[in-house]
Amino acid sequence: MSLKKDAKKIFKKGILYDNPILVQVIGICSALAVTNRMMNSLIMGIALSFVTAFSSMTVSLLKSRTPRHIRMMVQVLIISAYVIIVDIFLKAYMIDMSKALGPYVGLIITNCIIMGRAEGFAQSNPPLLSFLDGLSSGFGYTLVLLFISLVRELLGFGTVFGRAVMPQNFTKWTLMVMPPSAFFILALIMWAAYNLRTKKEKEGVEKK
Amino acid sequence: MKNQKSFFYPIIFMTVVTAFFVFILSAFSQATKDTIAFNNESELRYKILYIFDILPESKNPKDIEKVFNEHVEERFTGGKNIYVLMDGEKEISYAVPVEGPGLWGTISGYVGLNEDYSKITGIDFVKQSETPGLGGRISEESYKEQFREIDISDSQDGKFIVSSPQSGSNVDAIAGATQTSSAVEKLINEDLNDFFKKLEVK
Repeated sequence: MSLKKDAKKIFKKGILYDNPILVQVIGICSALAVTNRMMNSLIMGIALSFVTAFSSMTVSLLKSRTPRHIRMMVQVLIISAYVIIVDIFLKAYMIDMSKALGPYVGLIITNCIIMGRAEGFAQSNPPLLSFLDGLSSGFGYTLVLLFISLVRELLGFGTVFGRAVMPQNFTKWTLMVMPPSAFFILALIMWAAYNLRTKKEKEGVEKK
Repeated sequence: MKNQKSFFYPIIFMTVVTAFFVFILSAFSQATKDTIAFNNESELRYKILYIFDILPESKNPKDIEKVFNEHVEERFTGGKNIYVLMDGEKEISYAVPVEGPGLWGTISGYVGLNEDYSKITGIDFVKQSETPGLGGRISEESYKEQFREIDISDSQDGKFIVSSPQSGSNVDAIAGATQTSSAVEKLINEDLNDFFKKLEVK
């Protein structure tokens, strides 16, 4: 029962209150880079969720045996192992995706979310909860990426998941395909999320 | 833990953990090696067939292999390994390799030429590491289809492909990816010139 409760709390945190991108503002690099196509964002999100979940779990499994002063080395080793697995998997079974994401798969290693979760949560929590925590952060990341890419793909290409949805005479907004648009959209989403959050907090205070 | 303070424990620990993950990774890599190699080969075949515009009905690797073996021959000529599309004994068109620097890395691919080298019939890229979604879109259909049936018999100064907003342009560049577009233009023109010189056709 308590596990269920914990899991619920962790998911709420990872996706809403502690969303890695909107609240903690980490992992921004790839959020800007791969979000001009929804499919790319989805696969990137799944890959990141996988790596974060399993590396958090592994870090947590090894935590009592890991000497504290070399723990970062161990974490990077674990993370890179999982990233290589994802990279090989994409090359073997999803060759088109591997081509589309290009160097960004390898760069998952440097995504701060993974190391952040390993340091901030997995280091002091049991394996199963760490796994769920990694997964929820990954989902939080994926949702934001999907939202940004929905706006960018819709306005930049006139498509959703590669399927044309805009009318034939729709003028493509090229800026949306290019990196600057991600900055604007991400900032707008962050602003909206921040306002929602603080509004809730203020209401809470006033009621008291 | 007491032993965590010792000098050797971290070294032994790191060695064991590394060995463990290396073992897993190499096992995984070994298990998928053949699939990846076959994928790459099949992909190249598919691209050659795309250039010749005789794509099989499905992307099934076996169909690709069948059509490829039936119609295409490999040959060394003009200093390059080229692919030849055969119709019985007759040669219909050629796929010539081109390569050059792009924005982030080497772009390499094949350009299709008809039997008397007067037309470019198609193009595909084998390797490119351009920005996904921008320069990376040179691999997309809408860009590559522009290279079908380009007449190069009266091209001046070896400028077969011209991507510019002015008149006389025969391939539209990609918006937001000017560098990649000009890199593609340059590498095709240079390598085709080279090829024609060696064959002494132009």
